[in-house]
Amino acid sequence: MTTTDHGQDSEVAPPPRRRTWNRVAATISATGELLITAGLILGLFVVYSLWWTNVTADRQAKKAADAVRHDWATSSGDSKPGRLDTKDGIGFLHVPAMGKGFELLVKKGTSTNVLNEGVAGYYTDPVKSAMPWDKTGNFTLAAHRDGHGAKFHNIDKIKNGDPVVFEDRDTWYVYKVYKILPETSKYDVKVINQIPKESGKNKAGRYITLTTCTPVYTSRYRYIVWAQLVRTQKVDADRTPPKELG
Amino acid sequence: MYGWIWRHLPGNAWVRALISLLLVLAVIYVLFQYVFPWAEPLLPFNDVTVNEGMAAVR
Repeated sequence: MTTTDHGQDSEVAPPPRRRTWNRVAATISATGELLITAGLILGLFVVYSLWWTNVTADRQAKKAADAVRHDWATSSGDSKPGRLDTKDGIGFLHVPAMGKGFELLVKKGTSTNVLNEGVAGYYTDPVKSAMPWDKTGNFTLAAHRDGHGAKFHNIDKIKNGDPVVFEDRDTWYVYKVYKILPETSKYDVKVINQIPKESGKNKAGRYITLTTCTPVYTSRYRYIVWAQLVRTQKVDADRTPPKELG
Repeated sequence: MYGWIWRHLPGNAWVRALISLLLVLAVIYVLFQYVFPWAEPLLPFNDVTVNEGMAAVR
């Protein structure tokens, strides 16, 4: 440390003064190092949340999706059990508007643990979701906007009239988007009611609701997309996708 | 702090540089594997569900 010629310190400093100065300089440089370290850690945290969590979540989600597909392929003889097996996932959500070939595994629950696996979760709380195969009801889903797979990152690309398709073992459920709410309070639990009045519907029907956070990189508000069932289509032997996904 | 670490590492400059690099990687590993996963749920950046407030916020 050569701290000799420093403006106000230019006259020849006596040894005791120099020692004080050295101590001050050491404190300042240690503080600086700590601040730089803090900055680097915050930068690493950004890298972690926007990139690394996607890597791990995508890996996990792919494994889970493969397991479900495998399960469907091998247990195709008997009709019921496969589709109600909610542990691995109940099926796949397809939304062409969010990217070509967009396919997202749907699991039970919207806890952090579930959503961090890079999947969409259906609500069990505060309002229990209906299932697509129920006669009426609202199938309500949540997924991450950023990090942990960022599956709903492009939710703002969805327009009215776009198809949203849910696939389970034996049926394609084709929905059509009819209402988008770009910003609402995170306490607005009415949006996932079984009859989503906020979307303008007053009759029971077969709806699907997608929820995520907005604006991107924050979770101040919620972004909501509602769609209504148009038709269902039986899955054939080759799992030919419905024309809406073509 | 960093100067102190550097002075206390053994070997010549190359060895020290190598050890420093390993230390940095170890720190990054610990951060990514343990610290950040612990810290993330405590920060309000990634809640996506609608909920009834405190109940789900915990």
